[in-house]
Amino acid sequence: MTPEAPHIDWAGLSPIVALTAGGIVVLAAGLFRGAWLRRYGVPLLTLLTLGATAGLSIWQWGEDKAIVSRALAVDDLAMFLNLLFCAGAIAAVVLALRDSSPEESGHGEWHALLISSVLGMTVLASAQNLVVVFLGFELLSIPLYVMCATNLRRSKSLESGLKYLIVGSVGSATLLYGLAMIYGATGATGFEQIATALSSQAGLIDDPLTLTGIGLIVVGFCFKVSAAPFHQWTPDVYEGAPTPVTAFMAVATKAAAFGAFVRLFDVALIDAATNWSPLLAAVAVASIVVGNVGALTQTSLKRLLAWSSIAQAGYMLAAVVVADREGVEALAFYLAVYLVMNLAAFAVIVARERETPFGDDIRSLAGLGASRPALAWPMTLAMLSLAGIPATAGFIGKFTLIGATVDGGYTWLGVAIVVGSMLSLYYYLRVVAAMWLSDVPVPAAREPVPAIAGGSPELDAAADPEDGAGQDAGPDRPVSQAEATAVAVLFGAATLFFGILPSPLFDLARDAGSALGLL
Amino acid sequence: MAEVVFFVASLGAIGGAVGVVALRNPFYSVLALVGHLLSLAALFLLLRAEFVAAAQVVVYAGAVMVLYVFVVAYIGGADRPVRTTGPGLGLAAPLFAGALFVELCLAMLGSGLKAIDAQGAPYEAGFGSPGQIGELFLTRFLLPFEVASYLLLIAAVGAVILARRRRGLEEEGLEDVPTVTVADLFRLEPGVGTQAESGGMLQDRRERDERERKGGW
Repeated sequence: MTPEAPHIDWAGLSPIVALTAGGIVVLAAGLFRGAWLRRYGVPLLTLLTLGATAGLSIWQWGEDKAIVSRALAVDDLAMFLNLLFCAGAIAAVVLALRDSSPEESGHGEWHALLISSVLGMTVLASAQNLVVVFLGFELLSIPLYVMCATNLRRSKSLESGLKYLIVGSVGSATLLYGLAMIYGATGATGFEQIATALSSQAGLIDDPLTLTGIGLIVVGFCFKVSAAPFHQWTPDVYEGAPTPVTAFMAVATKAAAFGAFVRLFDVALIDAATNWSPLLAAVAVASIVVGNVGALTQTSLKRLLAWSSIAQAGYMLAAVVVADREGVEALAFYLAVYLVMNLAAFAVIVARERETPFGDDIRSLAGLGASRPALAWPMTLAMLSLAGIPATAGFIGKFTLIGATVDGGYTWLGVAIVVGSMLSLYYYLRVVAAMWLSDVPVPAAREPVPAIAGGSPELDAAADPEDGAGQDAGPDRPVSQAEATAVAVLFGAATLFFGILPSPLFDLARDAGSALGLL
Repeated sequence: MAEVVFFVASLGAIGGAVGVVALRNPFYSVLALVGHLLSLAALFLLLRAEFVAAAQVVVYAGAVMVLYVFVVAYIGGADRPVRTTGPGLGLAAPLFAGALFVELCLAMLGSGLKAIDAQGAPYEAGFGSPGQIGELFLTRFLLPFEVASYLLLIAAVGAVILARRRRGLEEEGLEDVPTVTVADLFRLEPGVGTQAESGGMLQDRRERDERERKGGW
């Protein structure tokens, strides 16, 4: 008997093919001899790759099929998440245009790692097989470990990479253990076969082997989504990593891990839901409490966002607990909203890190409302949205999350989300207050912002030291950050837009939510 | 017979694993790991997975472990034994390891799966043969197979980035870090990898090339 090669649906596989090919091309393009080509050609190729992937994902919208021996699912949830990964990566590329980390580690390598990480996320988000889940998990993580350490002149960056590597490896090993247990209990690696085995064989759901497997898988995923009590790495890694990498890591990794989380638990392990939902609910509440309490005293903006991301992971876990279509819808919607508001905040941090001598300390934002409204408004919107103030996207997101928990019979989880949001107002509003209520601090080194940088990208570009203006800045820091400002304004505007008019995004989330075939 | 082999190999595997953690000298740790992997290979043999056992010996105990030995010998560290960082970690780590151990024991012993207490799943002819494994790689696990190869490539790229940072970021500016061009990939320099290179004779030619390169773009 000659083995039959599996049918390959190239149309369904096209986003993955585009990312793989693009990654190789970008890696080779890093060998360009001209410095200009390396500095701008490589990011351009990267943007083309990511744009093509997003386009192909849109092209595949509405499909519902399993491709390559049923290893991957091409459905609206996977494609929705693909768009999120591409948006996060595009923002990271733009924010990193003038960052030192691609410069120091090599433009080709840095961008190839970014694309590979996106590829890993794509594989993970559409994985329908335990083996593919693990490989996607690793392909997502390993480039990120390295990218965290690419700011070669700062020891904190290396520390961040090393911590992420070690803690991430523990998480991966735990996950692998759990996947092996599930395979041992059900005898299958495909999600559908696992679901069939769990529903057809009596007693399998409560078998200690299955329960241990589920427990270990939960731990592994909680490491990745940084849910308490597996969150300890998050503040250090977020703080030490180059800020564009942190921005990408914060939004895209979370989307990928939650995508796999919801697919694995709501498709393969859905029959064991009575066993894992109390566990996940406990983790969700712990995350909400730990994240919000931990953020209260932070003065570093990146650490503050790290603690806030732990709390947000708790909110989103609540949607996984519910395990129905409304929950998946709310999760998809919130992941998109989370991406938008976090990218706005991180873009402002990137800009202020380069403009002021304070790094990512909260002092770098002081007096921003008067001096740079184009940065202050996006940050304000992002903070209000993260807190869940009405008329921002975060409010709609939390509203749908709470609605899903209440309808799913977990009203107390909805109450936990509300209480957590109330706590979170304290530290989000502190950032807003620093921007609008405090004066520009007396800088230790030099004037933080020249008066000409009134906020518009055109003016900022005119003040660019490379063009000869803005000489009063330090020699190594460009004064204006036109591209970071543009990212901040774009995502800040999106935060407001989806807060007032959420229906376009909500329609997409509804399509994504119905992909898993849940009730 | 099988029982004897099983217990000898199991004790070897557990002993090796304990040795990796407990031994202070990294070199001995690596040797303990070799012992652990060889015992695992014997366990695979008992499961009639001859190919996996052979691959375990050749790839892990052979190639990978030799690499480890080289790294340990190269970096040294035998004179500076690894220390734990503090009493908190020293207490917490065994606690968590013990909890995990108990959990796994519960999973294995408490499981109601029928095959656990019996002779196990029936043996099918051809199971675990290279041909069957290859077939699975090209049919059911085609995508994981390809993803794994890409993962290895990107891990190598990452390792190069991290290893490159050690070299002279302090003494030379980043602009001076030599970059390979596409043309260089196809133009193999004569004498590379020979005694002439180690003798430094290629060095003069390289410096000349470097001067030329800085002139052009």
